[in-house]
Amino acid sequence: MIAQYWAVTIFVLATLALLVFMIGAASVLGGRAWGHEKNTPFESGILGAGSAHIRFSAKFYLVAMLFVIFDIEALYLFAWAVSVREVGWEGLIGAAVFIFILLAGLVYDARMGALDWAPKQRRASGRHESF
Amino acid sequence: MNLTLTHLFAILPLIIVGITVVVVMLSAAWRRHHFLNATLTVIGLNLALASVVWVYFAGQGAVAPDLASSAVGFPTLVTPLVMIDGYALFYMALILVAALACSTLANAYLEGLDEHREEFYLLLLSSTMGAMLLVSSIHMVSLFLGLELMSVALYGMAAYTFKRRVSLESGIKYMVLSAVASSFLLFGMALLYAAYGTLEFASLGLRLVFEDSVGIWTLIGVGMMVIGLGFKLSIVPFHMWTPDVYEGAPAPVSAFLATVSKVAVFAVLVRFMIMSPTFDTKLHTVIAVLAALSMIVGNLLALGQTNLKRLLGYSSIAHLGYLLSAVVALRAGVTDGGGELSFTGQLVLETTGIYLATYVLTTLGAFGVVTLVSSPSRGQDVAQLHHFRGLFWRRPYLAVILTFMMLSLAGIPMTAGFIGKFYVLALNMNEELWWLAGTVVLGSAIGLYYYLRVMVSLYLAEPGEIQRDAAHDWGQRSGGVMVLIAALLTLLFGIYPQPLIDLVQAASPVGY
Repeated sequence: MIAQYWAVTIFVLATLALLVFMIGAASVLGGRAWGHEKNTPFESGILGAGSAHIRFSAKFYLVAMLFVIFDIEALYLFAWAVSVREVGWEGLIGAAVFIFILLAGLVYDARMGALDWAPKQRRASGRHESF
Repeated sequence: MNLTLTHLFAILPLIIVGITVVVVMLSAAWRRHHFLNATLTVIGLNLALASVVWVYFAGQGAVAPDLASSAVGFPTLVTPLVMIDGYALFYMALILVAALACSTLANAYLEGLDEHREEFYLLLLSSTMGAMLLVSSIHMVSLFLGLELMSVALYGMAAYTFKRRVSLESGIKYMVLSAVASSFLLFGMALLYAAYGTLEFASLGLRLVFEDSVGIWTLIGVGMMVIGLGFKLSIVPFHMWTPDVYEGAPAPVSAFLATVSKVAVFAVLVRFMIMSPTFDTKLHTVIAVLAALSMIVGNLLALGQTNLKRLLGYSSIAHLGYLLSAVVALRAGVTDGGGELSFTGQLVLETTGIYLATYVLTTLGAFGVVTLVSSPSRGQDVAQLHHFRGLFWRRPYLAVILTFMMLSLAGIPMTAGFIGKFYVLALNMNEELWWLAGTVVLGSAIGLYYYLRVMVSLYLAEPGEIQRDAAHDWGQRSGGVMVLIAALLTLLFGIYPQPLIDLVQAASPVGY
């Protein structure tokens, strides 16, 4: 194997050697500069503002979860879509049952207020109980 | 294979529970009404239970088909994944009864919550559906599907009263540990698939018959599956989560966890072991050691507990240990020369069925009393032993029922628990597993001490201030009625077990 691909092996080794030489020589010959500005995160030349630890609204997670659920479930319909002629009426009934269950889930989510994006105080006085 | 009406009829119990899930969800979306949703749930579960009986009797007259063809009749193979036979129907009925009991208990418990009571029934029904799929699965895919459907809903149920920190902790703990166990199970399945190219229990067993020695990867695969299932059954080296989760979860959820999930996983484990029986004897040695460890460690750790829910958790570890000793008896194989079920195989199935049924009854009764006494309507869900002190002088009937359940858990004659333990011992004697039988006796002796400790505290003098009490009209509530029925059945099966034995004997898996 190695006998067959010796050229590749040499190429890999030569690349590694070149990299080691470039980094090594630069670190030995080059100068070093220390400073406060060097330790700030690089933001395309703009000064960073504030901490990266912000609190997200729990709504984001709820919406993300809903998206994942419905997206993944809709994925199953592709299997039916590519074979819609072959599976015939039985397939249609099966897919209809599946979609109906998804729809029931959507109705439930909507009624629970999971799809109401605005914060509570900005909404018209609470139509439904929400989470 | 096409799904015909016969197939749909066979999985009627599953379909009914599935429809109930959607109906309860829409009804909760339409109007938040606790009583309405609880009633819908109970109606759905009862219909499913009735359909189990219907499917069983409709199948009695039909001829048994061979497995390969898609012939109609009973038992019915619905797709290669699901087998509806007497075995599956018996355990489905057991699961449905336990789920019904838990939903009546939850009804009383949830009255104390001020919001989002209805979703509990959704989770309970989904979990029940997963358990029902699990007991009828003859394929790794449906095994995993059922297990996850059951477990994922259970995480939500354990963390249901999330404003209590312990409940949230128990839910998250159970979720993380359970996910690890599931990955072990999946890896084990993958190794088996790599070795044999099939995931069906029956064809796995067939491949193994023609093999002289089991390969190392097969052994590792089966070992990893044992780890995954052992976690769900809380067998000893994998038992750490059990007391914490039982303690933190709401009492009806602990009852559900201790009955439905254990029954379903154990039933599928036994089915797997029966359909692929010729695994290496090393595996059976490992299972024997696990069983012995569970009996001893579970009982020893229960000795020092001051919380009744934790105590019941440890006691369930020990009980699963007793049960697992029945699986060890399968090492000799289950068929005799003619392909019929051997005496040992029959005895194993009978022991499993009877022990699980009596264990479910007893555990439901015990957790039922705990729920009635410690419901959160007046403060926190607490189950310290001193809260039960002097219960006899306040609620004599409840105290008597709890005493009776403790006696049944300990395996005292005249209770259903005795019949189960008798079967386990008889099986061990029959198989000449002397040291395992000795461990059962030793474990029961240790167990008697802490069961008696609970009983003693029930009859001690009443403490000065009463911290916890059941509602005055507990006997007229659904949870109270359920506890009474469980106690009566425990007594009935303790004295006259023949109906139960007949039922279990009729519920043999397909092919036997």
